[in-house]
Formats: sequence, structure tokens, C-alpha cells
Amino acid sequence: MSPVRIAAVGDVHLGVDVRGWYRPRLDGIEERADVLLLAGDLTRHGTIEEGRVVVEEFRDLPIPVVAVLGNHDYHSDAQGEIASMLRDAGISVLVNDSVVVKCNGVRLGIVGGKGFGGGFAGKCASEFGEREIKHFVGHTKRIAGEWREALRNVVADRRIVLSHYSPVKDTLLGEPPEIYPFLGSYLLAEAVDAVGADLIVHGHAHAGVEKGLTPGGVRVRNVALPVLQRAYAVYRLSEEAEAEEAPRRAMADAMG
Amino acid sequence: MPEHAHPEMLHDAPHYVAARVQEALAEDERTNELGIRVDVHGDQVYLRGSVGSAERRRHLTEVAVEAAPGATVHNECTVVNVRAVEAEEDERL
Repeated sequence: MSPVRIAAVGDVHLGVDVRGWYRPRLDGIEERADVLLLAGDLTRHGTIEEGRVVVEEFRDLPIPVVAVLGNHDYHSDAQGEIASMLRDAGISVLVNDSVVVKCNGVRLGIVGGKGFGGGFAGKCASEFGEREIKHFVGHTKRIAGEWREALRNVVADRRIVLSHYSPVKDTLLGEPPEIYPFLGSYLLAEAVDAVGADLIVHGHAHAGVEKGLTPGGVRVRNVALPVLQRAYAVYRLSEEAEAEEAPRRAMADAMG
Repeated sequence: MPEHAHPEMLHDAPHYVAARVQEALAEDERTNELGIRVDVHGDQVYLRGSVGSAERRRHLTEVAVEAAPGATVHNECTVVNVRAVEAEEDERL
């Protein structure tokens, strides 16, 4: 199987004040990557006007672009319109579903969505008590369930999960521990570990670090722009990793 | 300053001032920055973190000064330096 090169960035927080600022940094991306993933918080306030700037900066690239939205993109309740504008410009937007992109003859399945918070195992909120808390935790549980199903159903050679919120604590190092429950949830990682994937990409944690691992051994990369400090990161899935992935997938399938 | 609170009803312990500044930075349309760390020592307010442009950095000071009247605001935030990607910089997984 040919290697696949995945470019990824999140938290670009574009607005009319920085129109035209990002696009030149994407010049020549097709020489370095086969696909570009956008890990949410594409705007600052989630307005239609900012959505237009995002479209202008990322449209008509020579490689496929797959995005999820982030919490900032939801702020003005225009997330549906922003997603439609991106789709009209040829950018795939995942909302707890999947897309398959052909890269060098490899079917790359990308699964994901915004994700949500709740915290990490042993130090997290539970679906108990007031309706507000149950809604909060229930939202993450529903998302995790949909990702698990999407991962199980996607027909692809390699599988990547794209999120805004973090599935692990590893990549939050540098953030105040008190806000971890608002930065991600272990439920997202658990869903991915149950089925298996080659990589999880997320954003949201501006003060975190780039590299982490799920408890099940899936590589996690925090691609928030302030963390990367470069226009995008590129991850190359090589052939060797396939040998490790196959038995995990078989085991997950056997366990149902 | 939170819209729901009358100024005379607010306590000015550094703990509350920090919370008010952080809330303003997150909720004010000029900033909407969630990742700024706010520390208050006496009447000195320190902002730390990073934002996307010099103008956005200036807005942080503006909003913080309004949220903590009478305090001195030290804006120690940086503007994110986004460099171009070099060839052969990819990580092999």
C-alpha cells in the first residue's frame, strides 16, 4: 500500500481582519501532502461573514480538504450555514459521519466531528443529577457512539479520526488541569480504541502539546495553530503501520 | 464587567477580578478569546497566552482594562508566529 501524507491544522480562527493571510501559506501543499484536514475553530465568532473568509482561504486547493467545526464556529448559531458554504466550495464537513478520500490508490476513511467535553476517566462528569449535567455528558456520549458506528461502517484501507475536542489528556499538557473537562473527553478515545484507527487529529487546546497516545495505542496529534506554529503539520502513514493495525481491527471485529 | 452585576455589588478580591477579566475576554465580541490566562496580584492584572494578530492583542488590553477599572493591565500575550512548512518536515507514523 502506498504511503499517505496527511496535512492538518486547527484553530486558524479566521476573520475579516486577517482575510488573505493564510492562503499564501498553503502554496505548494500538494507537493507535501495528499489531503488537508481542518480540525475546527475555523472562525472566531462563527458568523457567516467569517465563514466566507474560511471558504476563500481553503477553496480550490489541489488536494481534497476535509473539515470539522469547533466551538467558536457554533457561537452565532450559524454552524449549519457555514458547513453548507464550505461544502458548496468543495470542502467536506464531517458531523459525526465519514468520508472516503482516494490518495495514491489508498482509500483513506476520515471519521469525526466537533467532539465535546466532559473530562477524563476518573475525573469526569457523569450522566447523573440535574438535567443540564445529563445533557452535557449525554451530548458527548451520543457523539462517541456515532463515531464508533461510523468507524465500524466506513469501507477504507486506512482510518483517521478528525475532531475539534481532545480525546486524551496527553496533548493537553500545559493547559490548566481545572479546565480539562472543557477541552475533551475520554469517551471519544474509548470509541476509537474500540474499533481502531491509524491516527486521531484534534485542535482546541492552544496551550497544549502536539503529540499523544490513546490508552489503546492510537497516535493523537493536537494540530491547534498556536501549538504547531507552522501553517500545518504533515503526518505520513507508512506501510509498516498496517501490520500493527490489522490484528487490532480483527480483534475489534471479533469482539463485535 | 458582567452585564448582570451592578458595580457596587462586585467584590474586588483578586480572585473575582481575574474571573471577571477572563469572562470578558471570552464573551466580548472584540476578543472571544478563551485561552488567555489571567493572573491578578493586588491591582496588577497579567494576561498570558497567544492570539492571531497584533490588532487582536490590542483588543485584549482594551477589554481587560474595561473589565478591571482602576487596575494596571500587563498584556504579556504573544502574536502567533505561523511559519511556512518546509519540505521533508513530515512525521512518519
